[in-house]
Amino acid sequence: MARMRLAALMLGVMLLATPAAAQEKIVLDGSTTVGPIAKAFAGFYMRKHPDVNIVVSESGSGNGAKSLINSACDIANMSRFMKTKEFKAAVENGVTPVAHVVAMDGLAVIVHPANPVKALTVGQVRDIYKGKITNWRQLGGPNTRIVTISRDTNSGTYETFAKLVMKKEKIVAGTEYVNHNAQARQRVKDTTGAIGYVGLGFVNRSVKALEIDGIAPSNGTVASGVYPIARPLYMFTNGYPKLGSHVHAFVTLHLTRKGQEIISAVGYVPVTSY
Amino acid sequence: MALSRRKLIDDSFSGLGIFSILLMSASLVVLLAPMVVRGLGAFCFRATVEHLRVQFNEFGVGNAEDTAADVARAAVARKPAFDMLVDFETELTDDFVREMKYREPLDELKKSLRELLGPLPGDDRDKMPLPRQWYGQTRWQRALVKQHDVLYRTEWVFQTRDEMGKKTFVPRVDDFRGTPIEPLFAYVEDHLEEMMQPRWTLHWRFLTQESIDSHFFGGIWPELLGTFYLATGTMLFAVPVGVIAAIYLTEYAGRGRFISLLRTCISTLAGVPSIVFGLFGLAFFINGIHVSDNKSVLAGSLTLALLVLPTVIRASEEAIRAVPRTYKEAALSVGAGRWRTIVTVVLPAALPGILTGIIISMGRAAGETAPIIFTAAVSVGKPLSLFQTLNEGTPALSWNIYNLATEHEAIDEIRHVQYGMVFALVFLVLTMSLAAILVRARISKKLRG
Amino acid sequence: MTRTFSRMTPTGLAGNRIAPDLFLSKRAGRVQRLASLAGQGFLFLVTSASTLAVLFIFYYITKDALPFFRLRGLREFFTSTHWYPSGDPAEFGVLAVFVGSGLVTLGAIVVAVPLGVSAAVCLSDVLPFSLRQVVKPVIEILAAIPSVAFGFFALVVFAPLLQDHGGAILAAAVWCIGTPLALVLILVLSEGIAVRMPPAHRSTVGLVVMIVTGATVVWGLYALSSRLSTVEVTSGVNALNASIILGIMALPTVVSVSEDALQAAGRDLREGAYALGATRAEVISRVVIPAASSGVLAAVILGVMRAVGETMVVWMASGNAAQIPSPWFNFLQPVRTVTATIAGDMGEADHFDPERYSALFALALCLLVFSFLCNVTSEWVVRRTRRKLG
Repeated sequence: MARMRLAALMLGVMLLATPAAAQEKIVLDGSTTVGPIAKAFAGFYMRKHPDVNIVVSESGSGNGAKSLINSACDIANMSRFMKTKEFKAAVENGVTPVAHVVAMDGLAVIVHPANPVKALTVGQVRDIYKGKITNWRQLGGPNTRIVTISRDTNSGTYETFAKLVMKKEKIVAGTEYVNHNAQARQRVKDTTGAIGYVGLGFVNRSVKALEIDGIAPSNGTVASGVYPIARPLYMFTNGYPKLGSHVHAFVTLHLTRKGQEIISAVGYVPVTSY
Repeated sequence: MALSRRKLIDDSFSGLGIFSILLMSASLVVLLAPMVVRGLGAFCFRATVEHLRVQFNEFGVGNAEDTAADVARAAVARKPAFDMLVDFETELTDDFVREMKYREPLDELKKSLRELLGPLPGDDRDKMPLPRQWYGQTRWQRALVKQHDVLYRTEWVFQTRDEMGKKTFVPRVDDFRGTPIEPLFAYVEDHLEEMMQPRWTLHWRFLTQESIDSHFFGGIWPELLGTFYLATGTMLFAVPVGVIAAIYLTEYAGRGRFISLLRTCISTLAGVPSIVFGLFGLAFFINGIHVSDNKSVLAGSLTLALLVLPTVIRASEEAIRAVPRTYKEAALSVGAGRWRTIVTVVLPAALPGILTGIIISMGRAAGETAPIIFTAAVSVGKPLSLFQTLNEGTPALSWNIYNLATEHEAIDEIRHVQYGMVFALVFLVLTMSLAAILVRARISKKLRG
Repeated sequence: MTRTFSRMTPTGLAGNRIAPDLFLSKRAGRVQRLASLAGQGFLFLVTSASTLAVLFIFYYITKDALPFFRLRGLREFFTSTHWYPSGDPAEFGVLAVFVGSGLVTLGAIVVAVPLGVSAAVCLSDVLPFSLRQVVKPVIEILAAIPSVAFGFFALVVFAPLLQDHGGAILAAAVWCIGTPLALVLILVLSEGIAVRMPPAHRSTVGLVVMIVTGATVVWGLYALSSRLSTVEVTSGVNALNASIILGIMALPTVVSVSEDALQAAGRDLREGAYALGATRAEVISRVVIPAASSGVLAAVILGVMRAVGETMVVWMASGNAAQIPSPWFNFLQPVRTVTATIAGDMGEADHFDPERYSALFALALCLLVFSFLCNVTSEWVVRRTRRKLG
């Protein structure tokens, strides 16, 4: 008797987990830089439309592109533009990627706040990551080994860094690889000798952003294009979404005032600022 | 050699063994202690009035009048601080020179105050889209940390360029000497308890609520449900196949070469690393035969079922073999066929042993992460209904522990959620192991007596 | 009169003369035989299907790994240390990753084997039954804790500890591992030397050797530990962190398999040795362990297998740097393991970029083959023991 009651209870629990009505689902996948924007948008949108279920995965820009190409997601968040290879594969699969620029972002090079070094040039950052400079002493700082942190290779942040800073040269072998902007920031925050790079939205009081070529990264310098390592953040859809559909409302959220407030709240630069 | 020296060697040998055992137990304690202590802190903590507000506004928990009364009491305590702030701000808008001097430190102060107390007077609610901006600190311990942030500014002092800077705390009150806002700091320092109204709470709803705003508020229900689905789904696939295979191997199989090949295959399956299962699951179940379009609980369960199959087979085999031959012989002697003997006599007798194997495998399936990373686990999602599990991925305790500990945007703010999840997972798995041990103890008692 | 039959009657046992009413008609007998064969066939199919799963895994992984070797050949893969899968041009040298896995496994074995074998010895021979019932759950709990919980501990608790108090922890570890080893060394040495002396001086020589070795070893440990306590750990996620945690994870495997092997040595062997007047230590070290040596070896191999196949701990706490540390035994530098590389790159598993896709499967194939070899070796070792002990 008790066993039957227990089984009924379990069944009831599972059925209770059933949501009330049929839900429309929007799946987003991709960049960890765009992730906070996507998640904040999702939270905001789901509050306004409780019948829509929005799922956000953050597996890297490369995976986002792949998911879109395989029609496994509706919106691909990417912190870099799609490569020609990806476009070709998309078209072969019958998918036409359309880019929506949702925000601007700067790539901040961060160090531990205890590090007296305040400014570097792009060339110096490149040399650090190439392995030519291995100790902060060589840059006028303390005698501590430089611990280089880099994003893993399916990341748009990594691609931007590789293109704009490394200029296609190889990163030194002893670099620690992390999977997410937040992880990079956490590593730098915990290690006094570390240097890393994150999206501007991830800079907070626990790390220090360096001036690059004399320009400090901020919303203003990124928006005006003065900061040397700036980039747009994209959401890609398969074709232009049907007008009036939920996906359409979602990818045009950044054009509304509310959307821009969300973007600023999360730490990025709204598109209308520049 | 003298007997005394041999005895000495003997004792030191035993001492060595006991030392190893003690070291092992110590490592277990060192491992579990922080998880248990801090994990319990996710459930049992001093909650502030902000926690009550979150629970009432977002989840509808609590009494409207009581909550309003608590909020009112806190508001009364906060009023003097807010008044000082507002007065100072109005003063500044009239005096351009003073505004230039105090604007930046004041903005920083307000930022820290917002993290501590929630929205300040004059804050436009419309300009705060994220739920985390609508409330102050919900936990008293974090409130103390943020209070420190309000009272002190973190500065890094660099003596020489050859050394790393040292962290110093500069009292913020020094920035505001001689201004009407100066007493604010002493007030915040002395009256924090009245402003936050901390109270010991047993927040068991942590287990039943969904998370809001990336786990800033709310609980871990979707993850618990996901783990439950995955574990049950795994057993749904693994148990029938495993028990049938065990029956065949013990009762029907001979000793031929083919049978020993089968056994080698099973033990090889047991040795495959879990990440290879994950890769196989992704490449075969999802990309190959498309059991679902993308990640799904179904694909994850199938992958995990492969992982635990050898354990189920081995445990069932042992259980069936442990059934005394007299049972079988008695059944056969009254004329039961082989299949009927197995079903009516052997299996029921072996059931506790099989159950032990099932419970242990369930615990293993609940705790595994590598097979579900790309077959079933998503980082953020709603709790699924039974029907949705066929085609949708789900958050799961094991994956989300990794996710929250490495890939979350505010790792330090949600430490208690991470510890809570680890505690829940370890508690779940250890309870299942304990259940398995108890079941096994009961069998050995029954079979002995 | 039609013959009646019931499903419970056995077919074709004794002749018709004994109980004519209990036997089936020929047709019924055939039907039942067919049904039983069909049932058996079904059971056989299910069993084979489940075991074929592993063959299927091998086939699938090999099938998707071969294109890589066809495209890029074997040499670069196994000899180059440059792992840049998304570089331009892409490089797929996994030597550094293999070395990383090897280092971490080596560290895990150093932690797990001495500790595990002595714990197993203690469990099987030294502890009384009641204490054994208390210690066994400890081992089972350690075995049951999920790997992500270990990884969480390694990242959140152990890494900051290593970073802030690295030197102190290293010094403590030296004492922890060194003291028992030193003890064993002293005893073995003193005994070994004393035995070769003429009986008159044996005890004094033995004592002197003991004191001398004892003093040297203690001094050596002290010097090592004080040197290590000054070491600055720049980053808490490194090979040492992963090794220690992996060692603790492999411990239950080593302990339980060793204990089984020691128990399998049998009471007769032990009783014979005791009858000759040996102390417990002598029985264990000179009779039981040599008899169970292959079992202990199997335990070590299984521990290696466990350490190599572990993903979450190394993904979270080893630093993920594809390099060979300089010098190679510098455990304080980050390394990258095969499992972490597969996990990190698994999202790329699509036919999109065929080289990268198959490189991933090539890595998985190496891992699979290595685990298979370990498994086969340990089983062969165990079978040899069983044959030896009869």
